[in-house]
Formats: sequence, structure tokens, C-alpha cells
Amino acid sequence: MLKVHESKELQHQLPSEKLRLPKKLYLPLSQHTGRPSKACVSIGKEVEEASTIALEDGLISARLHAPQKGKITAIENYWHPVLKRAPAIALECAPEEKRYQIEKDLQHYSKDEILEMIKNSGIVGMGGAAFPSQVKLKPPQKVDTLIINGCECEPYLACDYRLMVENLDEIFKGIEIVCRLINPKEVIFAIEDNKISIKKKLNHIRSLKKFNIPKLGIAVLKTAYPQGGEKQLIFTLTKRRVKGDELPFEVGCLVHNVATCFAIYEAVYLDKPLIERMVTCAGDALCAPKNIWVKIGTTLKELFDEKILEFKIEPKKIIAGGPMMGIGLNHLEYPILKGSGGFLFLTKDVTELEEGPCIRCARCVDECPMQLTPLEYVKRIKKEEYAVLDKFNINDCIECGSCAYVCPAKIPLVHYIKIGKNYMPKKK
Amino acid sequence: MNLKVSCSPHLRSPVNTPWVMMQVIVALLPATIAAIILFKQRAAFLIANCVITALVTEEIIQKIRKKPSTVADYSGVLTGLLLALILPPSTRWYAASLGSIFAIAVGKHLFGGLGANIFNPALIGRAFLMAAYPKMLTTFIAPSSVDAITKATPLALRKFSGVITPTKDLFLGTIAGSLGETSAVCLIIGGAYLLWRKIADWRIPLTVLTTTTVISAIFHIVNPLNGSILFHLFSGGLLLGAFFMATDPVTTPTTKTGRYIFGGGCAILIMIIRYFSGLPEGVMYSILFMNALTPLINSYTQPKRFGE
Repeated sequence: MLKVHESKELQHQLPSEKLRLPKKLYLPLSQHTGRPSKACVSIGKEVEEASTIALEDGLISARLHAPQKGKITAIENYWHPVLKRAPAIALECAPEEKRYQIEKDLQHYSKDEILEMIKNSGIVGMGGAAFPSQVKLKPPQKVDTLIINGCECEPYLACDYRLMVENLDEIFKGIEIVCRLINPKEVIFAIEDNKISIKKKLNHIRSLKKFNIPKLGIAVLKTAYPQGGEKQLIFTLTKRRVKGDELPFEVGCLVHNVATCFAIYEAVYLDKPLIERMVTCAGDALCAPKNIWVKIGTTLKELFDEKILEFKIEPKKIIAGGPMMGIGLNHLEYPILKGSGGFLFLTKDVTELEEGPCIRCARCVDECPMQLTPLEYVKRIKKEEYAVLDKFNINDCIECGSCAYVCPAKIPLVHYIKIGKNYMPKKK
Repeated sequence: MNLKVSCSPHLRSPVNTPWVMMQVIVALLPATIAAIILFKQRAAFLIANCVITALVTEEIIQKIRKKPSTVADYSGVLTGLLLALILPPSTRWYAASLGSIFAIAVGKHLFGGLGANIFNPALIGRAFLMAAYPKMLTTFIAPSSVDAITKATPLALRKFSGVITPTKDLFLGTIAGSLGETSAVCLIIGGAYLLWRKIADWRIPLTVLTTTTVISAIFHIVNPLNGSILFHLFSGGLLLGAFFMATDPVTTPTTKTGRYIFGGGCAILIMIIRYFSGLPEGVMYSILFMNALTPLINSYTQPKRFGE
């Protein structure tokens, strides 16, 4: 695995702030893996905060809620960080906020009722892939190991760390719920050694035994990229290998991000659906980096209009997500999604480097966490030989970017691999 | 705002191709300095000749191919330097120049330039000279000799006269041989630097050296006149080959298993040539032969799928 310059020190120390009430929200219907949600409100309708505005469509899909009280003004294509343009619900907000305070007593609820609450709250994996949580929490076979992912291996990002610093008890209440649902033999809480301060707190929680969690293991892993990748984390902790087209339950594991656990806590205990999340905004173009609680659907532009963020220098590059896997944005109109962990505003673009010839040094092969041979892909894709790519298991590629990072010839390998995956003849 | 949109990752390692090439040149410095100390101005002249010819040839070819200049990536310098270090000190200037031209033009650019060549260009240059000037390429001189007194290399002495050179001379390099091959200690320092900087993968040098050790140990037990382990490790082009030729990324396997096979194959061929052929030394031919097998090795050693 890679040692990448982390650039996290500053963000780690910044307490989270809350954004004042946003004025307008854009809520894409596709914020998760699976089918887009189906809007269940009409234009002009007044909606309350936390009321459902779009329903799940099929098994693998997620519900969407109004992050704030307001009026639906449009349901049309809008900017989307991943899909560029996609259907979204526009919500004009009223400056009112609902309070969620009373913690429920969960004893009177059955497993199915709890699972229903999670489903109805539109919770998705908040580590990036945004896989609907209720699906993961109902594995078709027995899961013996629950892994809580607090690695946050992407450079710059610090929102998971801040959440662990500020809300560890709530995260553990979430873990307790997950344990009740899937009944694992063991729970492993994994962090990287750049978050060592969390270890003490974890040990303390373990010694208090106040949560109903079976055998809690605390794993402090070396800071490396992509340590927080689901398949990599499972392998590091359990030596079990999840194949490219398999899901963790197939090796008896389930991985949940700390932020997802927190969201599960809010959904089940407070009846608060996933309408808000913490994002890290960082980069040398900003006056100051920040960890901010924002309503889902807030546009980046609003963060700047409200002077939450300010530019010191005009950025050359804006990235949704971390620098290793994030997506380049071309303006500020993009809304923040359920899976957005951060946004970077950089004054330099290092990817402009000219691509040289491959010297076959195989650093990409050595670094690939999925044991692939990226240089072979580039050779074939340049010759437009897409049919052979399947033989080299190109679809196992998780696009972590390690290969392109280490390439001395500065070949944009992920770019080529994406092209290859796209043009490859589809299996029937 | 004028924003650049490009594919992830948005970070890149500072390591680039020219830096990699430069590190190899740096690693060759001890051997280069030793060559100049041992063979004086002959060495300096031969190195300058090969490097400059290589660069000029590359410039001209890039002009003809209407491609940008590649002088700045140091790969031409490296090929020139490597070629000089594997030539006998008494090589005449025109032969060295021809070899350098052949290495760059045929060994490298005929195949498509940097990264596309099948054979190690420096070794191709030397193989060409071996065919063109066989006498010149097999005549060696004693180090520090002003009048160029002809002297046989330790491997030739073993093979044709049954004389084993003391290990101390092999270690320091006070023996007859190609420019950069003689001083084992300098090559080991350079090789260690390459491995420490992770420029060369350790698998190939390790398998070359261990296989050589095992084979020479067995043969030494059978007959002490076959030469000891250290004799075989330190003599001829073995160290230079193991650390600098067999680790050339372009012409060696890209898979980890492939690298073990490549290193082992090189060492077995080298020892077969040393013990059983009419030639005293076989590093060059062994590596070139394994270069030819590299695509095959690669295709048979593709890594297993994660989880299988």
C-alpha cells in the first residue's frame, strides 16, 4: 500500500461547525448505488423537515427526505457531481429547524421494526460508495465479523475523524443497533495510526462495557492508502479475500463506516432521517479549511455565498471527495450528496504533467491492491483491443488510483481503465 | 473561475522517469570512478565517447521521427554509460562509437524508442561489437598499465590456464576486464543503493546471486579448479549484469513470479556458458536470451485474481 502525503493535520484539529439554514437545496434522486429514488411529491407542495419526498425503487435503492421545511419548486435535471446532470428535487427552504431530542427506548422494538426504521430513513453507506444500508444489514448468509471503518485513508479528509472525536458515544449506539440486527461474533473497530487519539477513547469505552456489543477488537492500522477500501480492510483485518465481483458477506464480513453508524443512531433513536452530514472542505485555495455539518443538497455556491468558505486564491481545481478517488468539478453549482465526504479547492493541478512512454517498471503492478496488471490494460486500450481486457480482470479494479499515483511516466492509468471498462464488450 | 477537470487521482508521486534514470546513473558512479582510477584516461575517453555518441544518435533519430527531444530523460546517457562500462578498456574509439550508435538506433529506436525495446540496448551494442570486432572485444589489458599490456581476464585464466585469481583482487578490481566490471565492491555499493531507493526490484538480483551461489558451490565441491562461490560472484560481468542489466525495467518481466524466473534463468545460462562453452563468460548472452523470453514469462505469470 502507498504512503501518500496526508495533509490532514489542520483539518483534524478543527471542531465541526454548523451551517446556518440554507436557502435552497437540490436533491438528486440518485445519491446511492442502485436505482434512483422515485419522487413522491409534486411541484408546489409544501413539505415538512424530515418528510419523505422520494421513495425507494426496488430492492437496492434509498429513500429521500426533505432536509428542511420548504416548498418543492422543481423536479428536473440538475448538476450532479458524479453523473454531471441528473434528475433532482429543488426545495426552497423556510428558515425553520426541527428539533430531534428524545431518545427512544429500543427495547419495545423488534429487529424487523428497526430495519424498517433504517430503510425509511434513507441511510446509505457514507464512506463513498453510498450502498443502501438496509440491504447490507440483511445479509443472505451469516456474518460473523462486523468491521467499523474509521480509517479515512483519503488525504485531506477529516470528517470521520471529527465525528469520532465529537460523537463516539452515538457511533457506538449505532454499532449496538447493527449488532442487534446481524448478531456478529466479533466487532473490529479499525482506525489508522494517524488517529491515535481515538484509541484511548475506544479503550475507555471498551472498559466501561456500557454498550451491548460482543467481543470488541480495536485495530490501529498503519496509515496507508487504500487502507480504508472495503476489500483491503477486510483482508488486513481477517486475511479473508473478497473477490472483485463479490460482496463482503460472502466471506462472513460486514463493513460500516463510522458516519453510517452515526446516521443509523440518529435514524433509530431520534427518528431523524439522513438529511445532514459532515463534510471536510480543504485545500490551499481556501482562507481556512473547515469541517461543516451541512444539509444534504446544499450547493457549494451557497457555502461561499454565506461566507462559510472563502477563497484566498482562485482555485485551479475543485474536487468532490478526496484527492485519490474524488471527481473534478467545473463550477460551484453542485449539491452535496449523502456520500460526499469532502470537497477540495486546490491552486495547483498536478495532473497536467505530460504522459511519457511506459518504461514497464511495473510499479503499478506492485502497488495494485487488487493484484492486477494496470500496464497491460493501457497497452491494450491504446490499441483499442477491448475484448482481451476481461481476461485481465479489469472489472476487479476499484479505481483507487494507486497505479496512476506511482507511475513515473505519469500515465493517467485510471482514465484509461475507465475507458476500457466502458468499451469492453458486455457479458451476456 | 477557470477550473481543470481531469480523472482521479489528483495527486502524483514526485518520482518520474528522468529521476529513475538518474538514480541508476548515480548508482553506477562508484563503478565509473573505479574504472577511471584503474584504467585512467582510456576509461574517461571511452565513457565520454559512448555517452556523447548515444545522445547525438538519439537526438538525430528523434528529429527524423519528428518526435520531441528525449535527451532530458537521461535514458540515452544511461545506455551510453552502461555500454562503455561493459567494453574492454582497449576498445578503439570508432568501435565504441559504432557500438553506441547501434545500441541506440537498433537496440532502442528500431523497436519504437524508450519502453518499447525487447532487448537491453547496451547489451545489443556490445553483442554487435562482439560480432564486428571479435578480437578487439576479447582482448583485455592489465589495469594501470601505460603501455596497454595485454592480460587475460580471471574467467579466461580459469578456463584456459586453470589459474584462479585471488578473491581480494576480484573484490577491489585490480584485474583485467571490461571497464566497469572489475571492481566488485563498487558494484555492490551501487547495487545496494538501487535496492535501497527501490529503483530496482530485489527479486532479480537476489535470484541471480543465489542461483549462481548454489551452482558454483556444487561445482566447487566437485572440482576446486571450477572456482569458488566468491570467484564466480565477483568475476566477469555477473554483478554488473545482476544489478544493472537484469533489472532494466523495460526488458525484464513485470510480474513478481516472472522476476524470479528471469533471475534464475539468467544465472543458470551464465553458469552453463562459463562451465561448458567455448567462451569464458556469458552474462551478456544470457541476459539477452532471457530478454527474448520476457514476453512469454509475463504471459505465463500473470498474477492470480485477488481472492483466487
